Amino acid sequence: MDAFAHGLVLADQGLLSSGPNNLFNYLILGGVLFALGIFAMVSRKNAVGILLGVELILNASGINFVAFARFNGHQAGYHGFDGQVFTLFIIVLAAAEAAVALALVLAVFQTHRTIEMDRVDELRM
Amino acid sequence: MVRAMHSMLATLLFWIVVLMTVTAATFVVVARNILHAAFALAVAFLGVAGIYIFLHADFLAAVQLIVYVGGIIVLVMFAIMFSAHTQEGTVEPRRTWLALGGGALVAGVVLAATIMLINRLQVPLAEANAHADAAYRTTASAAPGEIALGHVLLGEYLLPFEVASILILAALVGAVAIVRKETR
Repeated sequence: MDAFAHGLVLADQGLLSSGPNNLFNYLILGGVLFALGIFAMVSRKNAVGILLGVELILNASGINFVAFARFNGHQAGYHGFDGQVFTLFIIVLAAAEAAVALALVLAVFQTHRTIEMDRVDELRM
Repeated sequence: MVRAMHSMLATLLFWIVVLMTVTAATFVVVARNILHAAFALAVAFLGVAGIYIFLHADFLAAVQLIVYVGGIIVLVMFAIMFSAHTQEGTVEPRRTWLALGGGALVAGVVLAATIMLINRLQVPLAEANAHADAAYRTTASAAPGEIALGHVLLGEYLLPFEVASILILAALVGAVAIVRKETR
C-alpha cells in the first residue's frame, strides 16, 4: 500500500502532467499493455487471439526498453542506444515467432478443423 | 510563449496517442470477432509507433510500422482467413466466467506488481526525468540518432545481428515445413 501512496504523490507533484517528458507515463503505459496481453493470453479461446496477446506483451516490453534508453543518464564512453537495439531485436524475434506460430495454427486447423484451444485436446485423431 | 504552446501541444498529442493505444489494446482483448481484434491491434501498433517518436526513436517507429502493421498484421489476417470458412467462423464463442475471472486476476496482480516495481526504481523518477536525452545529446551532437544507431547495431551488436538473420531464415523454413502437405 505504501508503494501505491508513493505513486499517488508522484502524480500530485505534476509529474503526470508533463506528458512526453516523464518516464513514469511510459512505464505505466507499458504495464497496462502488458497486463492486457496477459489477460488475452489467459482468457482467449481462439489460438490467433492468444497470439495477439503475445504481440501486445512484446510491444509493452519494447516501450519499456526505449523509455529507459531515453531517460538514461550519460556516462563517459556510453552511446546510450542499447535500449533501442534491444527493441529492434525484439521486433525481429516477434516477426519470426509470428510466422512459426501462425504456421502451427494452420497445421492444427488442417488436422482438427478448428483453432479453438478448448477443443484441440487429443494427441491423435 | 511560443515554446510553452509547443510544449502544451506536444503534451496534448502525447495523451491522445496514449489514449488511442490503450483503447485499441483493450478492444483487442475484449472483441468477440477475432478479425475485429486484429484490426484493433493494427491501431494499437500505430499508437506504439507514435510513442516511439515521442521517445526520439524515429528509426524504431519506422521499423514498427513496416514490420508490425505491414507484416505481422497481414500474416495474422491470412491465418484468420485460412482457418475460417464463413464470416461467423471468426466469432469466438463466449468466454466462461472462470476464464475471464482468472485472466482478470492474473492481469491485475501483474499490473499491481509492475506499479510497485516502478515506485521502487533505483534512480528516482524525478532524477531520471531531469537527464532525459543526456546520452543522446553527447553522442549524437554531430550525427543524427539514426546514424549513431547504425554504428552501434553494425559495430558492437554485429554478432547478434547476424545470428538474427540466421534465426529468421530458420523460422521461414520451419514455417513452410510445418504447413506443407505431405505429397506422397
